[in-house]
Amino acid sequence: MTDTVSVSALSKWFGPKVAVSEVTIGIGPGVTGLLGPNGAGKTTLMRVVAGLQRPSQGDISVLGENPRKTPAVYKKMALVPEDEAVYERLTAREFITLAARLAKVDDYISATEEVLSIVDLRDSADRQLGGFSKGMRQRAKVAAALVSDPEVLLLDEPLNGADPVQRAALIKLFQELGEKGRTVIVSSHVLAEVERMADRVIAMVDGRLAAVGSVETIRSAMTDRPRQIFVDCSNPRRLAAALIETSGVIGAHLSGSQLRIEASDAGAVAAALPVLAVESGVSMTRLEPADESLESVFRYLVDAR
Amino acid sequence: MVLAVHLYKRLMRKGRVIALLALSSVPGLVYWLSSFDATPAQQETRYSDILATAGFSFAIAVLILTVATLREERDGGTLPYIYMRPIPRVVIAAWSIVAGIASALTIALGGWLTSVIAVLAVGGDLSITWSGLSLFVAAAFGYSAVFVPLGYLVPRSLLVGLGYVIVVESILAAAVTGLAQFSIWRISLSIFADLSPIVGNEATQLLGPVSPGAGGGVIKLAAILVVGLAALTVTLQRRDAL
Repeated sequence: MTDTVSVSALSKWFGPKVAVSEVTIGIGPGVTGLLGPNGAGKTTLMRVVAGLQRPSQGDISVLGENPRKTPAVYKKMALVPEDEAVYERLTAREFITLAARLAKVDDYISATEEVLSIVDLRDSADRQLGGFSKGMRQRAKVAAALVSDPEVLLLDEPLNGADPVQRAALIKLFQELGEKGRTVIVSSHVLAEVERMADRVIAMVDGRLAAVGSVETIRSAMTDRPRQIFVDCSNPRRLAAALIETSGVIGAHLSGSQLRIEASDAGAVAAALPVLAVESGVSMTRLEPADESLESVFRYLVDAR
Repeated sequence: MVLAVHLYKRLMRKGRVIALLALSSVPGLVYWLSSFDATPAQQETRYSDILATAGFSFAIAVLILTVATLREERDGGTLPYIYMRPIPRVVIAAWSIVAGIASALTIALGGWLTSVIAVLAVGGDLSITWSGLSLFVAAAFGYSAVFVPLGYLVPRSLLVGLGYVIVVESILAAAVTGLAQFSIWRISLSIFADLSPIVGNEATQLLGPVSPGAGGGVIKLAAILVVGLAALTVTLQRRDAL
């Protein structure tokens, strides 16, 4: 499969802040999910690929061209930006027609009507975008991107604000585009969302690539990693001694009245802990998994690379 | 053309247009208030003097209007809808400046019409107003060519532009001979002075070392337009669009 979008040793920094660091990836037709917690660098990567921001270092190629040097490539690529910005005074129809005309679509009237139907906005097409809900704006933005029938479609958090029905419809639309051989790159910080639409996932954290592969690969990497559990108790040393023989426990670290447990099977350890505490005569005041957030999962993946 | 029409419509918001028309009408209103009991000769010299001095309000109106051409798109996050199109950057720059000029001309027309009405109201000779139109039009071209790129380039472009109009154009250009040759207001005034039947003392003083001459003024304005277009094109090509 030929890469339609390729990024080589790409870095982008703003003053001292590094937003994207040394990213090299190739993306071909189909739906690719760009996954990562907020602040991971997904939006910056999207913007740099879209040519809206200049890379501080590295190269980008979309359909064999650098968008910053060859604006003609925008005939074949489109972006749905993350922010809600739209022309509030324009109606949805005017907004999409403007996008079509600027993209030099020959029959822009038919193209506009077609995409209005695709995103199910025909009934609201003559309402000003300023009065649209967040989900409707998202659909209008998607329609404006689709109106030029792009080969490469960049979607930055396109499901934000959409209700479950709209989400399902948009996901189906993106999947259909992927099946038609379009390159669809969808960013999201919600794994389940990406899992529903993408065959391939690029995970980012702290501006770096955390993992690239199928959703199953990412899931398995996340399941395999050791989890940390924090326990506040009356006698952490005694509880640690009791725990050390328990299956699923990799290590135990003492810090004052706190015990940090590293577990390969966090569920089994959490279930065993109360029993061991009673048997050891230790009273627990807090039991908390330390790293359940997506960010910590991705950080683990980065460290593991 | 689609882009220019879009940008023009965006600039021409009702509230803003009304406020800026009022600002550009200041010279006409000042003329009306000061010329009731003037003789025809005084009316003619006053027309040129008042346009030359109070006309700075028009420069400020053009500044407020034209810096917003691309700045509003950039600040509002809508620039990608323009930038990510198969349009060469020089064409985006050119249509943006065209939109700025068109909007400035709309305001210019308002300012000039006010001056025409004022001349009519005091029973003056309408022929003096044609040169007034040239002043408004020349300033609209010159300032738009500078302020549209400035708006895209500088986040606080309105403040910087005000600094330019007040400090450079009003104060420094009057004191430094070399600078006067590059003052957009004086270049516009040189065209006006060449076409006007009578030029008052204050207008002559303001011109300073700049000689009246429509041809020379138009050439200078064309040069400013080319520089503005080049600056905006390079900025669109090299700087981040967000």
